Amino acid sequence: MARVVLQNVMKAYGTVDAVKDVSFTVEDGEFVALVGPSGCGKTTTLNLIAGLIPMSGGNISIGDRLVNDLDPKDRDIAMVFQNYALYPNKTVFKNLAFPLQMRKLPKDEIARKVNEAAKVLDITHLLQRKPRELSGGQQQRVALGRALVREPRAFLMDEPLSNLDAKLRVQMRTELKRFHQDLHATVIYVTHDQLEAVTMADKMAVMNGGSLQQYDSPKNVFGHPVNTFVASFVGSPAMSLVPLTLSGDTLQGNGWSLPLSPANARKAQGSSTANVILGARHSTIRLHGAAAAGLVPGRVYTVEPTGDVTFVQVHVDGAIVIVSLDPSVPVRTDTNVWLEFDQSRLHLFDGATQMALPQRP
Amino acid sequence: MSERVDGWRWGGRIFLVLLMVFTVMPMAWMVLTSLKTQFAAMQYPPQWWPKEPTLENYTKLLNPGNPVGADFLRYFRNSMYVSVVTTVLGVLVAVPAAYAFSRFRFPGRTFLFFAVLLRNMFPAVVFLMPLFVLMRWLGLVGSHGSLILTYLTFGLPLSIWLLKGFYDNIPIQLEQAARIDGATRFQAFVLIVMPLSTPGIIATGIFSFIGAWNEYVYAITFLNNKERLTLPVGIQKFFAEFATDWPGLMAATFLMSVPVVVLFLVLQKYFVKALTEGAVKS
Repeated sequence: MARVVLQNVMKAYGTVDAVKDVSFTVEDGEFVALVGPSGCGKTTTLNLIAGLIPMSGGNISIGDRLVNDLDPKDRDIAMVFQNYALYPNKTVFKNLAFPLQMRKLPKDEIARKVNEAAKVLDITHLLQRKPRELSGGQQQRVALGRALVREPRAFLMDEPLSNLDAKLRVQMRTELKRFHQDLHATVIYVTHDQLEAVTMADKMAVMNGGSLQQYDSPKNVFGHPVNTFVASFVGSPAMSLVPLTLSGDTLQGNGWSLPLSPANARKAQGSSTANVILGARHSTIRLHGAAAAGLVPGRVYTVEPTGDVTFVQVHVDGAIVIVSLDPSVPVRTDTNVWLEFDQSRLHLFDGATQMALPQRP
Repeated sequence: MSERVDGWRWGGRIFLVLLMVFTVMPMAWMVLTSLKTQFAAMQYPPQWWPKEPTLENYTKLLNPGNPVGADFLRYFRNSMYVSVVTTVLGVLVAVPAAYAFSRFRFPGRTFLFFAVLLRNMFPAVVFLMPLFVLMRWLGLVGSHGSLILTYLTFGLPLSIWLLKGFYDNIPIQLEQAARIDGATRFQAFVLIVMPLSTPGIIATGIFSFIGAWNEYVYAITFLNNKERLTLPVGIQKFFAEFATDWPGLMAATFLMSVPVVVLFLVLQKYFVKALTEGAVKS
C-alpha cells in the first residue's frame, strides 16, 4: 500500500474545466471518499489517478513515484467500476485470474491467489460461472475480487455500491469497511451518497463544479462545513440555511429579530457585508407552540414521519428550515410555530462569499 | 379484442407462408430441374417432379476430366480465391478502422466517417468506367487483384459502419478494467474487445464474402481471360455456348450457392448469441 498525492491536478475538455486545481494527499492505508453531486468532477478525478484519461496539468504520485505519464497498467492500482465491467466471455475464475496472468505469474500461484480471494469474498462456488449467470450482488463481489486478487498500491472505487438494492448496499458497505480495516488498504472511493462517505471514510473530499471544497474527516466536514455548499450537501436531511441581515448583535428577519450570543455576534461581524446566512441542523432546533423572546416565527409546511423521528419543514422568511421531533409530538401543517436555535451549534456564513465565518476572539 | 388479435396473427401467418412460397419456389425449382435429364427438363406441360432423377449433371460438373467440369471447377476456385482474399483483407482493415471511429476522438472524425459512407450513396455501376480506367492505369485489368480492390472499396464502408455499431455497444469500462489489470491498450483490444465483437466480425465477413461471391458487373468488365473468370460470369459465358442445357445450369447454380449456405449454417449461432450479456450492470 502507498500514499497518493494530487498536486494542482487539472483536466479540461476544450473550454470546459472538469477538474480545477485539485490537491489532496491520501495517506498510506487511508480510506478517502470523493463526494459531490453528479458532474462535480469526482469520477474524472478518479480516472486521472487511474491514468485512464490524460491530465491537463498538475502532478499525481502513487507511493514515491510520479505517475503523470505512466500507463494505467504501470501504476499498480486496482479499480472497481460502477457497472462492474466484468469480462463477459470469461468465467469468474478467469475474470479473477486476468490481472495475474497479465503480470505473468506462474499458473499454480494464480490458482492459489484466485481461490484465496474467492474464499474471502465467499464466491468459491461461483468460480466456474459466467458473469451473466450471477445476481447483481454476486457480480459486485466478483468485481471486488478482481481488485483484491493482487496487492496493488491503492484501490480505486467508482460508486461500487450504487447499483445494488438498498439492503445489499448497507451490507456491502459494512463488508467494505471491514475489508479496509483488515487490509490497511489505501482506498479512494467515489460516491454521490454522502451517507456512504460519512460512514466509511477516514477523510472526505467534497467536490463541486470541478473544485475541491473541503478535505477533512467526516466529523469535521459535518461539524465545520467551510461553505454553504458543503453545509447543504453533507448530512441528511441537509442543514437549513436562512439568509438574513446583521444589525448590531442581532440577525434581522422579516418582522422578527434573533439576538446572537456574544461569540456568534463576533463571528457575524466578520462578514464582508451585512448579509449573513444562518445555518442549523435539524437536531439543534427546538419547536415551540407560542411566541417568546429570542424565538423565530415560522409556519409548518409539511410533516414527514419516518418512524424514529418526524421531520417538520417550516417556512421561515421564504426559506425552509427542517426540525426533527419525537413522533409523539403533535404538529399540524399550516399552523404557526416558533423556533429556538441552539446558539452553541449555530453556523454562520458570509452572505456574499458563502464561506463559513470563523471564530473570532 | 383477442379475436381481432388472432385475426391479425392469422393474416400474418398467411402472409409469411405466401412469402416463403415466393422465395423457396425458385430454389426448389432449381434443385428439381438439376436432377432432371435434358429431355425431362424441356417437356411441356412441365414435369414437376423428376420421374427419373439423375445426378449426372453434378458428376459432370465435378469431374475435372470432363472439359465442362474442368472449366466449372476453375471458375469455382477463382471465385473462392477472390472472395476469401476480399473477406480477409476487408476484416483486417475494417476492424481497426471501426474501432478507431468508435473509440478515438480525432480531428475530422465525423467528416471521415461520412466520407466513408458516401460511397454507398451511389449505385455501383456509376464507378464502372472510372474504375476501369483506373485499373488500366495500374495495369490491373484482367487480374483478380482488380476485383479484390474493387470489392474491398465497396464492402468496407458497410463493414466499418456495422462494426462501429458493435464497438459502440461494448462498454468502454471493459477496456479500462483490462488496462488497469495490466494490459496495454492493444492487449485490451485483442484480449477483451475483439472476442466480444466476434459476431460483428463474422457478420461483416459473411457480408463481404457474399458480395464478392455474387458480383457480376465488375467481373465481366474487368476480366477478359477465360482462365480467370469467376463463377457468376463463368456460368453465364459457358452456358451461352450450350444454350439450352437447363439441368446443367441449375446444377451449377446450386453448387454455387452451396458455400454461402454452408457459411451461414456454420456461423449462424454467432448471430443469435448475445455475447456481451452480463458484462456490466446498467
